[in-house]
Amino acid sequence: MLKLPGSQINAGVSLVQKWWQSFCGFLFPPETDTWLAALRIGLGLQVVIYALFLRSDWHYLFASSGKGLVGREVGEAITSFDSPLIPTLGWLVTIGRNFNISEEAVLSIAWICLLSAGCLLLLGLFCRPAAFVAWFVHLCAGESGGLLAYGADSFMTTALFYLLLSPLPDHYSFDHWVAKTKPRNPQALGFWRRVIQVQLCFVYFIGGLAKCLGNGWWDGSNLWRALIRPPFTVVPPDVLVRFKYALPVLGISICLLEVSYPVFIWMKKTRLIWLVCILAMHAAIGLLMGLYLFALVMIVMNIAAFGVISNTAPPQRAMETDAQ
Amino acid sequence: MYSKRIYAAWFGIHFFLLTAVCFAGVFWLIAQGSTILPSAFDEYARKAEFVATWCLGKEAGGSNPLRRGIATYLHAAGIQAGYSFFAPNVPNQHRLTFELFYDDGRVEQQSPHVRSKAAALRLDSLLDKLADERYEAVREVLVKMLAFSVWRQHQDVKKLRATFASVNPPDINEFEQGKRETFQPMFTFDFSLRDEQKQ
Repeated sequence: MLKLPGSQINAGVSLVQKWWQSFCGFLFPPETDTWLAALRIGLGLQVVIYALFLRSDWHYLFASSGKGLVGREVGEAITSFDSPLIPTLGWLVTIGRNFNISEEAVLSIAWICLLSAGCLLLLGLFCRPAAFVAWFVHLCAGESGGLLAYGADSFMTTALFYLLLSPLPDHYSFDHWVAKTKPRNPQALGFWRRVIQVQLCFVYFIGGLAKCLGNGWWDGSNLWRALIRPPFTVVPPDVLVRFKYALPVLGISICLLEVSYPVFIWMKKTRLIWLVCILAMHAAIGLLMGLYLFALVMIVMNIAAFGVISNTAPPQRAMETDAQ
Repeated sequence: MYSKRIYAAWFGIHFFLLTAVCFAGVFWLIAQGSTILPSAFDEYARKAEFVATWCLGKEAGGSNPLRRGIATYLHAAGIQAGYSFFAPNVPNQHRLTFELFYDDGRVEQQSPHVRSKAAALRLDSLLDKLADERYEAVREVLVKMLAFSVWRQHQDVKKLRATFASVNPPDINEFEQGKRETFQPMFTFDFSLRDEQKQ
């Protein structure tokens, strides 16, 4: 049997301890809650706009078969094939039926809850319950209308999921002002900010990598196709033709910007450039393609993750707060 | 220290699952042959996709609790799908048109419509999914539902014909030469009040 000398074991243990400490240093940097306030306010606005944009079609999109566009049953059946534990609007309708509440009334209540949760998040009142209601109702709607969902929905679910788990309330909220809540653990705040930062790195790296694998992003034809594709046609093709030589440059820039995001967003010297470019890209997607919700949620996540400069608490104070 | 370990473990599991989801999506694109990579990569990509989906428990039976648990978590966190939007290339747009046949011989054309622009975006997303072979099993049901939504507004219609077409846009040079989008019909369904048949 192989026997390791004690000194080698000690060296191995201290190496693991060193690695663990540096990993903890990365995962739990002390942070203030300014970024959390930005995320809460941004997502509150996002939820309010989402609810208001869908106000006139809410019942039509989520009603059962025979009343709505395609009926939510098909979407719910596909979701339950993945797992019957995923919440859907059908759950709420079933609960409502037990209290003799009609399907239409349940859908209206769900919409009102979503709008109210968005407003409460904006104000910072009942932050945690509001974040839970917004996440849950949006998830139910997203899963029931899964066939009608697009990228903005999954980003909204993710952002609301992280907001729900983050150490709310922040000190800019009404909750803090009214209840005089204790300051949150700076390392817990740092951890949840890290989660969003790493999430965004995944989003852009995978998005950029997949784009790099398509020939249309290298010659600009994908940008042309994306911009003239109804219902995204905000700029008339006749106007777009004038910029035909800029399209390949822009296409390649988008690929490189996204795929290199996980590297350059962490470097202090390049962070601002990458952040501004990414925000400009999302603003352009919102304005030129009409994908307002998608643009807003990405801008909010980027600002919360990398845009807000936090005055990080000195390590000693952070440790004291952690011990408390 | 104890709570830090719990946080770190969650972080590890969460991003492991996200990695699997993202790479399953990328490998699927490669395996479909829709990327610039040579076809020699297709087989490797298929195997890599299998490994990624296995990590997500998708190779287990539908009622497997681990598979269900992972799927529930992924949906709750909004990370059940990868992030390859408009990639590797921007897909064609699709259009669904209904021909309404009245008793008196009149024929009208209609498309499914919604009130707001936000909902129109979602309808468009639904139409793109109809073209996807992964949704073939529910395609007819969905077209029937959409036909029914149109029929509710025109109840004196005798028969409905749904034509689903791919819209091929001109490239930038073709556009300059005056060429406009063309339609490539993909499938047609005939619906009547009593029965329906696929053509």
